[in-house]
Amino acid sequence: MIKIKNLHAEIDGNEILKGIDLEIEPGKVHAIMGPNGSGKSTLSYVLVGREDYDVTQGDILFNGESVLEMAPEERAAAGLFLAFQYPVEIPGVQMTTFLKTALNAVRQERGEDELDAIDFLKLMKKTCADLGINDEMMKRAVNAGFSGGEKKRNEVLQMAMLAPKFAVLDETDSGLDIDALKIVAEGVNKLRGPDRSFLVITHYQRLLDYIEPDVVHVLADGKIIKTGGPDLAKELEEKGYSEILENAA
Amino acid sequence: MQHDLLPTPKSERWKYTNLPGALKKHDLNPATLGWGGDVALLNKDAPGAAQYQDTQLWDLNSDQTQDIKFISTDDTLDINAKDGQWLSPRLVIHIKSGEEVTLIENQAGAGAYWKNQVVQIVLEENARLSHYRFIDEQDSGVLTSFTHIQLARDARYQALSFMSGAGFVRNQIHADIQGENADCTLNGVNLLAGSQHADTTITIEHQAPHCTSNQTYKNIVTDKARGVFQGKVHVHRAAQKTDGYQLSNTLLLSPLAEMDTKPELEIYADDVKCSHGATTGQLDETALFYLRARGIPEKQARGLLMSSFLAPAFERADDNILPRLEELTEGWLEKHV
Repeated sequence: MIKIKNLHAEIDGNEILKGIDLEIEPGKVHAIMGPNGSGKSTLSYVLVGREDYDVTQGDILFNGESVLEMAPEERAAAGLFLAFQYPVEIPGVQMTTFLKTALNAVRQERGEDELDAIDFLKLMKKTCADLGINDEMMKRAVNAGFSGGEKKRNEVLQMAMLAPKFAVLDETDSGLDIDALKIVAEGVNKLRGPDRSFLVITHYQRLLDYIEPDVVHVLADGKIIKTGGPDLAKELEEKGYSEILENAA
Repeated sequence: MQHDLLPTPKSERWKYTNLPGALKKHDLNPATLGWGGDVALLNKDAPGAAQYQDTQLWDLNSDQTQDIKFISTDDTLDINAKDGQWLSPRLVIHIKSGEEVTLIENQAGAGAYWKNQVVQIVLEENARLSHYRFIDEQDSGVLTSFTHIQLARDARYQALSFMSGAGFVRNQIHADIQGENADCTLNGVNLLAGSQHADTTITIEHQAPHCTSNQTYKNIVTDKARGVFQGKVHVHRAAQKTDGYQLSNTLLLSPLAEMDTKPELEIYADDVKCSHGATTGQLDETALFYLRARGIPEKQARGLLMSSFLAPAFERADDNILPRLEELTEGWLEKHV
């Protein structure tokens, strides 16, 4: 599904990612854990093509093809998705306008028919119902005045609507209480399937109690220093990052 | 042409707008729209000119006008100049007590020209006027427009100016709010490209208590174009419980685009609510990335963000007018973004 090879990336001349290798197969959920400043968010932005970051070495292959030359919108159409750590508030753009524009742009790129207003509303209502989201939210401006929990649920809703093949969740647990976390995790679990892969980025093990990963990686100083099964997350939670970082050094 | 009669940047209110400089390039002759109208009917003491320091253009219009329209019911006016024309249209609008009128003004032209327009508006008690002004001038066109509004008790004046082509424009508005519980709302969208210049200069005189005034101006400026916004709210001692609101937001899309903003509040009453805000900035790159990351192509994402930036200026526009506003906005964005 996705193959990251010796990826180096920098911003404003500072190298943040220093050679990342990672391969995720269809249907698998990988987790990346790491302390603050290890490069977790940089990795998520580089995967979806944020232009502030320069890739200086290596490659990202999505179903065998390099995405490095693709614009963010082309990557979205190809099936990459990022659930933002800090979803952006856009006052003045209605949720329905935003979602319909996005979905139809993506459908057009994928060679599918655009949805008319009625079919779109049907799909939106059904998706909201499936995820336990009140569709009143759709009448508001994008994320404007949303609570932390609403913003994260909105990310999951967008993911469900756009139906990506590979989704990155960037610290989706940050700023959520345990109830909101459960709802968001449930939404993600509903979207798991044999053709869809996930990369769950988190600082804490807590989220991984609800979204169970197949593989766990530890990221430190721009490199993956350890890879293991779900137990690795629990070990990290018990011992903290310092011991693993020391052993790796 | 009597260039020595024109206001120059030496006067404070014309600091950013050099009218003699703009007219110097053109060879223009007095002309008419064919409206007719008897100059003798113009009341020299009518509300308007006398109060201001910069009355040169008003006086020049009074001397030169051959086109006078008296308006008291719904109307649509096309004010089109031809190449080489110097026009001096005069609109005299009087809305009787309790009546409700909509006026649509379409400003356009061909080639090089100067339209020096004066609009005198008197709203009697509880009269309402919705005034839409669409400005689509040629690059070599010059428009100077001076609108004076006098509002009596319970009167409502609601204006929307939409500019998709400027050439060189001075849009000056002066409102005298004289009766209690009157409302004056001035909204505007200025879309400027090339080397266009558009100056919006507003004075609101709050002379009576319990009145409201709102100004919401949205500007998008690209290429080497220049926008000017000067807005003054003057609250007289008698005008207690005034609620005055003024907002000017500008998006600059190119490094050579320029916006000069000068908000002014002058308040002599002690129980009032007045606010003003002015921002000049660029498109929010984080929001743009968010939209693109969801699959919306860059150009479309920029358009979406800009339309949403403009939307507050359209809030009070009539449902019949909205489609035209949207179409003009889309057309401009398609061409310039």
